[in-house]
Amino acid sequence: MAGETALITEGLEKYYGSVHALRGVDLQVERGGIVGFLGPNGAGKTTTIRCMLDLIRPHAGTIRVLGLDPQADPVAVRRRVGYLPGELNLEQNMTGEDALRYFNQLRGNRVDWGYVRQLVDRLALDLKVAIKNLSRGNKQKVGLVQALMARPELLLLDEPTSGLDPLMQQEVYRLLRGAQAGGTTVFFSSHIISEVDAIAERIAIIRGGVIVEEAAPARLIDMAMRRVRVRFKTPVDPEALNQVNGVSVLSVDDGEVRLQVEGEMDGLIKTLAGFPVFDLETEHPSLEEVFLAHYANDREES
Amino acid sequence: MWVEFGQTLLRRMRGQTLGWSIGLGLYALMMLAFYPTVLEMDLQLHMDFLPDELLAFFDTIAIIGTPQGYLDTYFFNYMPIILGILVAGMGASLIVADEERGTLDLILAHPISRMALLGGRLLAFATVLAVIMGVSWLAWTLPAGQFGMDLTWIEFLLPFIGLFVVLLLFGSLALLLSMLLPSSRMAGMVTGTLAVGNYLLNGLANLDERLEPVVRFTPLHYYQGGMAVEGLNWGWVAGQVAVTVVLIVAAMALFQQREIRVGGEQSWRWPKLTRLVRRAPVEQAE
Repeated sequence: MAGETALITEGLEKYYGSVHALRGVDLQVERGGIVGFLGPNGAGKTTTIRCMLDLIRPHAGTIRVLGLDPQADPVAVRRRVGYLPGELNLEQNMTGEDALRYFNQLRGNRVDWGYVRQLVDRLALDLKVAIKNLSRGNKQKVGLVQALMARPELLLLDEPTSGLDPLMQQEVYRLLRGAQAGGTTVFFSSHIISEVDAIAERIAIIRGGVIVEEAAPARLIDMAMRRVRVRFKTPVDPEALNQVNGVSVLSVDDGEVRLQVEGEMDGLIKTLAGFPVFDLETEHPSLEEVFLAHYANDREES
Repeated sequence: MWVEFGQTLLRRMRGQTLGWSIGLGLYALMMLAFYPTVLEMDLQLHMDFLPDELLAFFDTIAIIGTPQGYLDTYFFNYMPIILGILVAGMGASLIVADEERGTLDLILAHPISRMALLGGRLLAFATVLAVIMGVSWLAWTLPAGQFGMDLTWIEFLLPFIGLFVVLLLFGSLALLLSMLLPSSRMAGMVTGTLAVGNYLLNGLANLDERLEPVVRFTPLHYYQGGMAVEGLNWGWVAGQVAVTVVLIVAAMALFQQREIRVGGEQSWRWPKLTRLVRRAPVEQAE
């Protein structure tokens, strides 16, 4: 249902010379959610986002942003989208206020300046200082305010907390949740897994220009391999456990067996029922481990 | 478009407008003040000492005792070079310098079309040029009577129109080249070189008729300088405006298709030249 979808990309491909940066990105973001776009450097996060704003054009595939084609009507798309670039550069001789007023003018002076003041206060930003004298973190705050100030329907944020201290990162998370509560869809890229884990309702992992996973963080963790430690009352032959679908034995130490389980636990539990089990522990992987597992696959493939 | 026009005019080009307007205005006043002195000189004696080649190269120097000859020799003759270098830099920087600084990305993420952005900036560029021309025109026109230069304000205006048009052409060329070449700096440099080259070629064509067929295809061949006081060739002006429009349309088409670069994406370099230069010391060491 296009009306309930904020973002759709299908088969998005992009080359930079001989580099195949996007190799068929398929992505769908429902309205009103917060979606984290996770991937290592060079995976295609920024390229995908910039295609959505018609700053660069894909060589193949389609994009729909809020039901609109960015190439056919880029101005209409940008009117409804707030964007924070990954490499934020502002005109150096402006103050923060000059920059925000200029961006407001580009938006047809539609911004509620009282809301800007609120954002500025929450981010503890001094708008009177020239951009050239601002620290990286404070420049990032100016970038965040300009992205949020028009209360856009969709926020496209490329590394939104880059350069911010941990306390300010938390404030940004609260701002993003607040924007979501106001009906805004938030799509943000990051390579900070804890950040994605903290606020994203769904995540998409991009690797080598392809979306390799797209699900809720909890679901991704569930789907991932988990470690199981079983202590038996008497030593057992681990081969029977090795036969279970999705299970591999990592180590056997006297009465303790360490296993790796992929997918559902049902087969293993039923098999273990035939053994004298003393204790059983399951370790859920963190999102970081899930992500690093994808990294590992990437390295193996390359 | 008007937001971008105002921003470019009042912020980005403010310094250039003020500096060049005041500078050229003061220069015009100074040269105007020297006019009575030049008239009192025995000009024929001076001409006799000048080599024929020099007189041919600067063809209006022979009539330096007339208002149009004086205006041309001391102002309009070389303004296409001085201001040509300025407009080459301005035209080349109009869009691509922002892209190189990384600021264009965020501007274009706002609801402004590329055409409106370029249109607003071009209009601001033309306005800046008009202001610089206007201040110089006033500096020549207002006190002219007191220094014995009896020209009407329209007669003073005509060479400024000719200069304005040819400078717009060079600025538009720089804009187009900035869309084609790897950097705005290179586009400005190439345009500036072309302007200076055209100036020299134009002068040399006065010495050697064989250059006439070549110089005919250059903008400064159709620039009248101070001689426009006697009447502007509107056909030439229209031709230069037409070429300027073509250059702008081509630049707009390229900008419309352009991939906005961040961190060097999609840029290109002269093949292997820099690599060869870098490699040379290593190979010598081996």
